[in-house]
Amino acid sequence: MIVVRAPLRISFVGGGTDLPDFYRRSPGRVISTAIDKFVYVVINRTPLIDKVSARYSIAETVNHPSELKHTRIKAALLDLGIHKNIEIASFGTLPAKTGLGSSSSFSVALMRGLHGFLGRKIDKRQTAEAASRLEIELVGEPIGKQDQYAASFGGFNVLQFNPDESVDVDPVLLHYKTQLGLEDHLLLFFTGITRNASEVLAEQKTNIGKKVDTLKEMAESVHEFKEKLLNGNFRGMAEMLHARWLKKKTLASNVSNSTIDELYEAGISSGAWGGKVLGAGGDGCIMFIAPPEKKNDIRHALKKIVSEKKIADFQEIPVKFVQAGAEILYNGDYVHNFG
Amino acid sequence: MEEFIRKFGERAAELLKRLPAGEIAKALSILQATYERDGRIYVFGNGGSWAIAGHWVTDFNKTVFSAHLDEHHRRFRISRVPDTAEELTAWANDIGYDMIFAGPLANVLEDTDVVIAISSSGNSSNIIKAVEVAKKKNVPVIGLSGFDGGKLNQLADVKILVPTLKGDYELVESTHDTIMHLMTVYFREYFAHLAETNQS
Repeated sequence: MIVVRAPLRISFVGGGTDLPDFYRRSPGRVISTAIDKFVYVVINRTPLIDKVSARYSIAETVNHPSELKHTRIKAALLDLGIHKNIEIASFGTLPAKTGLGSSSSFSVALMRGLHGFLGRKIDKRQTAEAASRLEIELVGEPIGKQDQYAASFGGFNVLQFNPDESVDVDPVLLHYKTQLGLEDHLLLFFTGITRNASEVLAEQKTNIGKKVDTLKEMAESVHEFKEKLLNGNFRGMAEMLHARWLKKKTLASNVSNSTIDELYEAGISSGAWGGKVLGAGGDGCIMFIAPPEKKNDIRHALKKIVSEKKIADFQEIPVKFVQAGAEILYNGDYVHNFG
Repeated sequence: MEEFIRKFGERAAELLKRLPAGEIAKALSILQATYERDGRIYVFGNGGSWAIAGHWVTDFNKTVFSAHLDEHHRRFRISRVPDTAEELTAWANDIGYDMIFAGPLANVLEDTDVVIAISSSGNSSNIIKAVEVAKKKNVPVIGLSGFDGGKLNQLADVKILVPTLKGDYELVESTHDTIMHLMTVYFREYFAHLAETNQS
């Protein structure tokens, strides 16, 4: 058995510039960090069972991977030529579709684990490339590459997406005081409204032609955000996010909906310096950067709105940043010889 | 005499002024990641570097957590390989001196671990053999070298090079010791802060 995990991520600036329609014209750039919430993938070899089994929100057992409903497991197994004698299960700290990149974290953990299953050791970059290829080329999802790299590498990084498809990973190495300081200033809420990133991104993608200048500006601003982060200028970071949030609303019509707008405005008027909706969609999670003494006011203001609107799943998610990326936690795989 | 003493101090100070900060920061990040996944740290070197490895074990396993020993749900897990002189001589005598680190390391190394290799020349063949064991497993290698860095500096994922003239073992080893202590202080303050703010 092999147990792999990959962290979820918070993306601060540059989302959307990791889509090929943009970075093939001009380098895309994203700054993000891995957090202490994980997707776990468990892979088990079943020498006496000539089937493929996938266990996630449902359980599937089929004779051949081509019969699987789970698009990523299916594509990965077909591509790697694994056709039987395998069980794959996934577990997560958080539910899917939170805007924290969990679907790519899954792909990253899956690819790392499947290569381990085949007796290959792949590094962080190879893992990120394999997961990006799986999602974008093999499954054909209209998504970018930032999440696969963020989940595979871990820690804070500036990711640059070059027109030749290469990706530069520049780790932002913070003193623990800066890291803990940012944790102190950060608030993350699961809004309880989930969506499918592909839907919103599909629309964003069609709009990219018109938005090139805005995206260029976003990719460029990553440098400034990184400087502020290194200097522990949390207010400056938040103010950049606030400006971005206003701009991002012009990117795709449904990037923001009224409930999210209301939550965001409530956070700002309760003292947050800035924030953003996480992920590509109009919902998922909402994050604020705020003075620590204002955090309770913000919590109360948001809770008031969700209780009025009866959004049952709304929940604060405490966050710590992690240096850890995708990693095999346990590898007890053993190739049985049944003659 | 005093001239000699002053000059040695100046050369040592010069090296300390130019510590490879970027690479040391990378090492801190990798060690932190290893701690997060409860992996193990393996450290080794020859002669004076073997002594630094032993000191490293003491400081990371104990000193780093000294202020609140019982309050951390998890502490570093660092060992010097091989564990005993018996094992060292067995590998050296039966297999070859080249294998004194690589042999024992191959027994224990897992995917979640990290390796710290210390070699002033960067070319000790027993060190390089052990680094190759780690590379084969894709386990990150933090390499502390001197002189021109040698093979170790080429192979290591984190390249902590103290550049000196060939043969300046004492200056290289003293600087490696300081780098080890720098990391000790960083983590001691970090873990003390976590304990004092109930985050450990």
